[in-house]
Amino acid sequence: MRRLVIAIVAVLAETGCQNMPEPYAAPAQRPAVENFHPYRMQAIVSMSDDDAETHFVQDITPLATSSWRWTGKKPTVRVKARTGEDLRYTIDFVLPEEHFRKTGPVNIAFLVNDRVLDRALYSSAGSQHFEKRIPPDWVSVDQDITVAAEIDKVSADLGMVLVRIGITQ
Amino acid sequence: MRQAVAALFGAGFTVAACYAAGTLVIDRLGAVLRRDERIPLAFVLGAACLHLVIFTILVLHLAYWPVLVGALAVIIGLSLRRKAQHSKPAPVLSWPLRVVFGLCAGAFSILYLVNAWAPEVSPDGGGYHLGLVARELRNHGFEKITTNMYAMLSQGVEMLYVPAFAIGRHSAAALVHFAFVIALALAILAYGRRIGKPWAGAAGALLTFASPVVGASGSAAYVDVATAAIVFAVFYWTEIWDEQKEMSMLIPVGLLAGYAYAAKYTAFTIGIYALLFVAWRSKRLRPVLLVAGCALVMAGPWMARNWIWYQNPLAPFGNWLFRNPYIHIIFEQGYSASLRSYGMPSLGPLPLELMMRGGATYGIIGPVFLLLPAALMALRYQAGRRLLLAGALVFSTYFANIGTRFLIPCLPFFSLAIGLAFSESVPLLGAMMVFHAVASWPPVMNRYVNLNCWRLVRFPYKAALRITPPEKFLMENSYGYAGARLIEEHVPKGEPVLTMTGVAESYTTHEVLVSFQSASNQTLADTVNMGWDDQLQPRLQRVFRFEARPVMRMRVLQTAQAEDPEQWNVHELRFFHQGKELARNPTWRLRAWPNPWEVQFAFDNSLATRWRSQEVAFPGMYLDADFGSEQMVDEVRLLTSTDFDRIRLRVESLNSSSAWEKVAENPKVEAASVPSAIRLMAVYEMRERGIRNLLVYDSNYGADDFAKDPEAWGLKLVARGEDTRLYRTIW
Repeated sequence: MRRLVIAIVAVLAETGCQNMPEPYAAPAQRPAVENFHPYRMQAIVSMSDDDAETHFVQDITPLATSSWRWTGKKPTVRVKARTGEDLRYTIDFVLPEEHFRKTGPVNIAFLVNDRVLDRALYSSAGSQHFEKRIPPDWVSVDQDITVAAEIDKVSADLGMVLVRIGITQ
Repeated sequence: MRQAVAALFGAGFTVAACYAAGTLVIDRLGAVLRRDERIPLAFVLGAACLHLVIFTILVLHLAYWPVLVGALAVIIGLSLRRKAQHSKPAPVLSWPLRVVFGLCAGAFSILYLVNAWAPEVSPDGGGYHLGLVARELRNHGFEKITTNMYAMLSQGVEMLYVPAFAIGRHSAAALVHFAFVIALALAILAYGRRIGKPWAGAAGALLTFASPVVGASGSAAYVDVATAAIVFAVFYWTEIWDEQKEMSMLIPVGLLAGYAYAAKYTAFTIGIYALLFVAWRSKRLRPVLLVAGCALVMAGPWMARNWIWYQNPLAPFGNWLFRNPYIHIIFEQGYSASLRSYGMPSLGPLPLELMMRGGATYGIIGPVFLLLPAALMALRYQAGRRLLLAGALVFSTYFANIGTRFLIPCLPFFSLAIGLAFSESVPLLGAMMVFHAVASWPPVMNRYVNLNCWRLVRFPYKAALRITPPEKFLMENSYGYAGARLIEEHVPKGEPVLTMTGVAESYTTHEVLVSFQSASNQTLADTVNMGWDDQLQPRLQRVFRFEARPVMRMRVLQTAQAEDPEQWNVHELRFFHQGKELARNPTWRLRAWPNPWEVQFAFDNSLATRWRSQEVAFPGMYLDADFGSEQMVDEVRLLTSTDFDRIRLRVESLNSSSAWEKVAENPKVEAASVPSAIRLMAVYEMRERGIRNLLVYDSNYGADDFAKDPEAWGLKLVARGEDTRLYRTIW
């Protein structure tokens, strides 16, 4: 009986040992620490984010769906950047047709830390995208940055429909 | 309401198919049974057969709703078409017995039915039992799942949940389990009548049936009570065979013994009982071989699946013997040790814990089982001796997992033995039954059990009828449901989620990688935790310097015996000549012992991954690099964590006569700095494995670190639950 048990264990152990793999080749090397930049920085506040409200500073109303919000005259958010290199102001918004009929063409100023980065005139309604490089000395790394858009005309205290605003790299 | 009806229909249809399959087999075998035993025995035997049918459907990837329903309908149809067989009438039960048993069992039946019918809130039922069933239905068949050790367990009972779930979702599966509770009680009752001790049978049936842990498990999509019913059915059929001495009666014995293993590994001992009993009573080899062969028909497919897929027929256990990349040995050892103690410093209080407290081992069997020593009085009967022997064998695996529900398979034997011990005193048995029923009734039980005791605490008839919306009921009563819904609502379709704590997987369509449930999950969790836990970070450098020498192959050998749970960990192993690192190239050949599958982690240039021995360090462990050609080396560096200190290391090279010779030992230990980007590196590894989503419970270690600055990890907060946060990689 003892021999039988030993034989069975030996067979099983032998079968188990056959599971050992062949030697492995050296794998692909991960980037060295000093070159480790796995992604481009992004500090964008999308109105669909669950935590979007934690970034709001002013003029972003509760009038909203799950993906956009009505703003007042100067919607402003607060974000942080881990680097000052190659940062770009980014905003996606909509000028709704019916609202636009009341305001007419609008001028919008795009601001970073209360400094005007650029201005643009919008003479038609619809979805809009604006993006522009931010001078590196306008922002401090790991400090709060305010990102805003100021519209010159509002109707019933409403300015634009905001989809997302912030900084990309 | 439609959901409630679907659940009843799904369960009823599955149970009917089990019974139909059982009657077909019983009639084919020509077994003559009494009416009262035919119902439960046919159901359980049919369940065994139906489990193989569903197994085959899943293997063939044909698990579509019409196929499953069609298979069940064909079985029921065949059964209805067969010529009705006569069964022997059962002796009439006395009216006092009917009153006492009927009232007590009736009340508990309603309690269990309503709980089973309500949306599934049990942790394991809503977690892996039905999580795997739902996944099999989504895939229309089995798939090799290497990231969940529970998928490696046999799923004998869950096979029945597949058609039930396909029709009536979660509650249908729980109701199928509830049917096993009823079948078990009926079988015990019938056995008492078979041996001429109806009061003993009634007492045995009620002691098991009303046991609180039986109610909690039997009203959920677990498998414990089903296992008990299968185990008891094996015993019952051995008794029938012993009486009728027909070889054909051994077929159900073997089939059910194999099915017991398929239902729960620890129930294999009833197979040993069956083999020993048949060998003893027949004194011939052929009947024993017949039982063994039939058992193999039921258990064999599960063993074969595991051997083929996981290189281990006993997966997820037995990994020291059948080594494989899917389960770490040190995890199995630690896990098994935890199941042997459940955090109890000593097993001295275990009897009281199991019978009256239930906080540590999750549930009680009831204070009436304090009478268990008196069950030895049943030894004066032949039936008592057999019951106690079978019960002892089934009980023998209990200490491998001392959770209360792991006692359920031996409860029928011990309950009957208690009933037999007092079978001469009917009033005493009646009083015992009433006492047990009262003591096990939830409001009464609440007065003496530990608050953490797993038990039925509700009578959720509104939830059962879906008057209370299932979503509301689940949110309020299921621990992992909110996490599952958070995943379902915010994670893009088809993407997996890593989490440190499990969720109710059956309520999400996403693959949930729970940190401890497989080797790859553990490795990944180790990497992620490295971001915040400095014990795991590469803070030490062990440097060997020696005279330059040409070598083709070098290894670092570990020579000391450590103590549990200390293992050997290496983040990076580097070779140098004159201060310049030998560039790693794909022609290198890397080996490790043990845990050869993860050797590349020590050579990937990542500070956030490490090779771990995954066994307590013992002499002879090594990391070995074959350079493919001769290289000059004068320095070897190991970058390691600080979470071990008994390790002793030596560098060796392979000489021209293929023998290892010592090159250096006693490395100089230096501190190494860890960059703050370690968090980012950790998440980078997660992302490289195709995992972009991380669910963190507020109670998880490190949760604050993620919450404080997700971007430092390369994560973005996607959604916030009541006690969870769901993150997604930024890139």
